Amino acid sequence: MNLSKLESILKGRSSQPHQLIEVLHDVQEHYGYIPEEAMREISKTLGVPLIEVYRVASFYKAFKLKPTGKYVITVCNGTACHVRGAQLLLDQATSQLGIKPGEVTDDGMFSIEHVNCLGACALGPIASENGTLGHHMTPAKLRKLINSLNREVKKEVKHA
Amino acid sequence: MLHYVTVNIDGADIKAPKGSSVLEVAIEYGICIPHLCHVPGLSDIGACRLCIVEHVTNGRSQVTTSCTLKVQEGMVIRSNTDRIKRLRHNIAELLVAEAPNSRAIQDIAVRCGVKKVRYPFRNSNCVLCGRCVRACAELWHANALGFVGRGKDRHVERPLNMRQEFCKGCDYCIQLCPMTITPCDGPMKPGEEYLCGKCESQLMITEEVPDSCAWCRLGEGFNCGRYAGVKS
Repeated sequence: MNLSKLESILKGRSSQPHQLIEVLHDVQEHYGYIPEEAMREISKTLGVPLIEVYRVASFYKAFKLKPTGKYVITVCNGTACHVRGAQLLLDQATSQLGIKPGEVTDDGMFSIEHVNCLGACALGPIASENGTLGHHMTPAKLRKLINSLNREVKKEVKHA
Repeated sequence: MLHYVTVNIDGADIKAPKGSSVLEVAIEYGICIPHLCHVPGLSDIGACRLCIVEHVTNGRSQVTTSCTLKVQEGMVIRSNTDRIKRLRHNIAELLVAEAPNSRAIQDIAVRCGVKKVRYPFRNSNCVLCGRCVRACAELWHANALGFVGRGKDRHVERPLNMRQEFCKGCDYCIQLCPMTITPCDGPMKPGEEYLCGKCESQLMITEEVPDSCAWCRLGEGFNCGRYAGVKS
């Protein structure tokens, strides 16, 4: 883990417990999740007990304690999307990738998440890939999307 | 110098030191308010809701936890009305359904007159009373325990799910936990939980003198404020 970035995040914020959530947000933004070492460092620098950092990080859904995949498939489970068959999308994604929501594939490329609303109910059901919304999704369209992402992954592996 | 205020609890005018909670005053004067999460010397968070009382102001009564209610001049408190009894009965029922594997909680259920549990037993072995968490943070300043997660996933956990070097190993969390005293017949198997209710004879004493502390043995398991200083 690259600690220099963490140091720059914590710079000028030492001994300021009220900055905890801000710091966690910045760490989440940079690393994609909140690593254990970062939590220990935050606890030391801000003067907050470690359990307090862990408690806050585990309380909010916005903070992730495990690394996510390179491609995050987010299925909206809001009311509008739900009545238009969001569950079918979730079933499609979980069966195709072989992981449950909140998990990461073994190669670390994909993870699935479900959220309560993405705020685009008229376009539902929605499945987004790394923040790019896919509107009026069907299980078939989602399968194609995941297949195309899979091809990209394979290409990258070849080039690397 | 201590300032005193006069509060009326169940009809008795009591001179109480300012800043103390209604529950502390009631225990001190021998008025029985069942409680679980209150530990003398620790902060009160009103987690178990057992110590609810009616706070009467301007002819209206408000139900609130007495452990977090600080005494004020001219306060009127009712701790044993029908409404309170009904609510407390229900709370005790929910607690015993959540964690039947504890003598302390079974005793509280008996004390609150629970005869039958209408809820499915969940046997989750924790009622989130927060005794361990507060003792760790306030008595030992170790902060080696805390609440993690939220909603139905909230539970007591160590930081990063492992024992940290700053845990002093005092085991005080275990001593204070109401789950450490198993029912007299031993721990119950999942699916075979029941309401013990064997100590119902104790209830006779508390029924004869409903709102006074009869020093019933029912409070011993969880170090009821009365028993706190007796054991040691």
